[in-house]
Amino acid sequence: MRLILALGLLLATQALADETCMSPYMAKIEGQEDFVYVWTLGVAGVGDEQDKLVTVDVNPASDSYGAVVASLSVGGRNEAHHTGLTDDRRYLWAGGLDTSKVFIFDIHSDPAKPSLHRTVDNFVDKSGGVVGPHTFYALPGRMMLTGLSNNRDHGGRTALVEYTNAGDYVATHWMPTDDQLRGAKKAGQYADGYGYDVRVLPRRNLMLTSSFTGWNNYMMNMGALMSDAEAMKAFGNTMVVWDMHARQPKKVLDVPGAPLEIRCAWKPEHDYCFTSTALTSKLWLVYLDDGGEWQAKPVADIGDAANIPLPVDISISNDDTRLWVDTWNDGMTRLYDISDPHKPRQLFEKKIGTQVNMVSQSWDGERVYYTSSLLANWDKQEPRGPDLQYLKVYDFDGESLKQTLAIDFIAKQLGAPHQMRFGAYALYGDRVGQR
Amino acid sequence: MIRLLLLLIACQATLARGEATVLAPGYGELAYEPPAPGTYALPPLGAAVDGQVRDAGGQALRLHQVLDGHLVLMGFIYTHCPDVNGCPLASHVMKQVQSRLLREPALRDQVRLVSLSFDPQLDTPAAMREYARHFRHRDVDWRFLTTDSEAALLPILEGYGQWRLKIRREDGSYAGSMSHILRVYLIDKAGRIRNIYSAGFLHADTVMNDLWTLAGETNPRTAAQ
Repeated sequence: MRLILALGLLLATQALADETCMSPYMAKIEGQEDFVYVWTLGVAGVGDEQDKLVTVDVNPASDSYGAVVASLSVGGRNEAHHTGLTDDRRYLWAGGLDTSKVFIFDIHSDPAKPSLHRTVDNFVDKSGGVVGPHTFYALPGRMMLTGLSNNRDHGGRTALVEYTNAGDYVATHWMPTDDQLRGAKKAGQYADGYGYDVRVLPRRNLMLTSSFTGWNNYMMNMGALMSDAEAMKAFGNTMVVWDMHARQPKKVLDVPGAPLEIRCAWKPEHDYCFTSTALTSKLWLVYLDDGGEWQAKPVADIGDAANIPLPVDISISNDDTRLWVDTWNDGMTRLYDISDPHKPRQLFEKKIGTQVNMVSQSWDGERVYYTSSLLANWDKQEPRGPDLQYLKVYDFDGESLKQTLAIDFIAKQLGAPHQMRFGAYALYGDRVGQR
Repeated sequence: MIRLLLLLIACQATLARGEATVLAPGYGELAYEPPAPGTYALPPLGAAVDGQVRDAGGQALRLHQVLDGHLVLMGFIYTHCPDVNGCPLASHVMKQVQSRLLREPALRDQVRLVSLSFDPQLDTPAAMREYARHFRHRDVDWRFLTTDSEAALLPILEGYGQWRLKIRREDGSYAGSMSHILRVYLIDKAGRIRNIYSAGFLHADTVMNDLWTLAGETNPRTAAQ
């Protein structure tokens, strides 16, 4: 077996799969990953009921392949959601959307058994009132966090919050709003100040953010939310183009319907990023036009919007030609040909489970990982069984998905699995040649 | 046996596939107009830690003596680094900054460039002296430093969060090359880190604007708090 690792990749010229979707400023695994770290929500009545970092051995050459080799509980439920690795990939940051706690795990000392290195429990105070740390995006020597909400009205107005890799607060960068545009210009009718994801195109000095909804909504029961007309108005309709170096918002783009995950293309001539809108079920393209202006436009439908498929995670392939799109409500994954980013074309679709949220692929795109959970109060509760709360792994041969591994997180008394990040011994020079 | 190929800094994936190396942005023209000096903040990123170092003349120094009261651009390197987008990029950009400083004496007199080796085994003061010969201009304050031992070096690396991995042969001996993430640190006159550049960010245009931004602060101890 050949393991190829590449470290410290900073140019956006590489073919990067979801393995490195988080940041181009990070060491990455090109070959077989040893572990997947799954940030898992605690569920009442399931195991110890706590949020936990679950480590699964996913190297077929390992004696413990397919097994949960570690489970590290953090002492309560926080609405565990997203995670991100530092640029040197030694630490995994994981957030709780309810408590706004940030857990920093050491994954380099023993990649098979992460330890809790530090807990940031004053995120709201330090940031000046930001609630709900969501995305953890690696920058050189620091982490950029997105918030989802604020502590004044628990609505969607929020900010980016910057920390050092050591876990010390650096700065808060508030999203532009109609009453405080902060130097940005509006491209359309919205400047809602909402936040969700962040990505960077360093060669263009672009930092791009998307928008979701505030604590009031993401902590509400989904049925109650859907029947609350006022609450349903409180979703983001914007993406913001930032000057990355200055951390200043430049332009607010109208992208109605809660644009969520952002995935940017990697080839040097590809100045564009994709997102999907949860409420309107569309793929959107944010691109640099011929006049050097960033624009946004819808480029494809995702399923039938009338059925509310609810697009969630997306994952771009290593050559900018394909995009995986998960839709949570119908449990489907769809693959789009994005060779022409202005005209994506669906290649095929497959039902993964009762619900499906996150999708991560290996660097080479040959392995595709799925987890099921979205939010504690939104997740489906039945039918009980292996398709409800799971980690599933598939081999992808370019045309079809073949399941190779599945773990029922309820049967294993773990909880509801959310975001996945990959780990490998060789990142840290450990046990190389012994496996 | 698993073949481990630890590749350094930008563009290595292309190398792994046998494709042409794409040079880091620091070797070319910046593809955007950088924000003007003084129009943005550079919030402190923590203290620049101290440590025991040795200069290219063999003199033992505390690192804080070198940083003392200057705007400092400090890069961790090792002189036999083979990756064009690794340490050579850091030294190339710092040499470009040096050239610009020569045209800006008011700024030049406030700035000190520092190249600090993280390979005490091979980068002796004599090796650093030889390396410096290719870069240093007599009218710019550019220090080339090393350390006496791993024991002296490791607290410095830990303090700056500079990770590196020695590549070893089958018998465990040091092969003379390292994996690392390129980092160059901008440090203010109060000894605080104000920016960290890696290969995707490191460019003389943005570094010069950052230096002017810090030079324009009236009180560096309270600026950008």
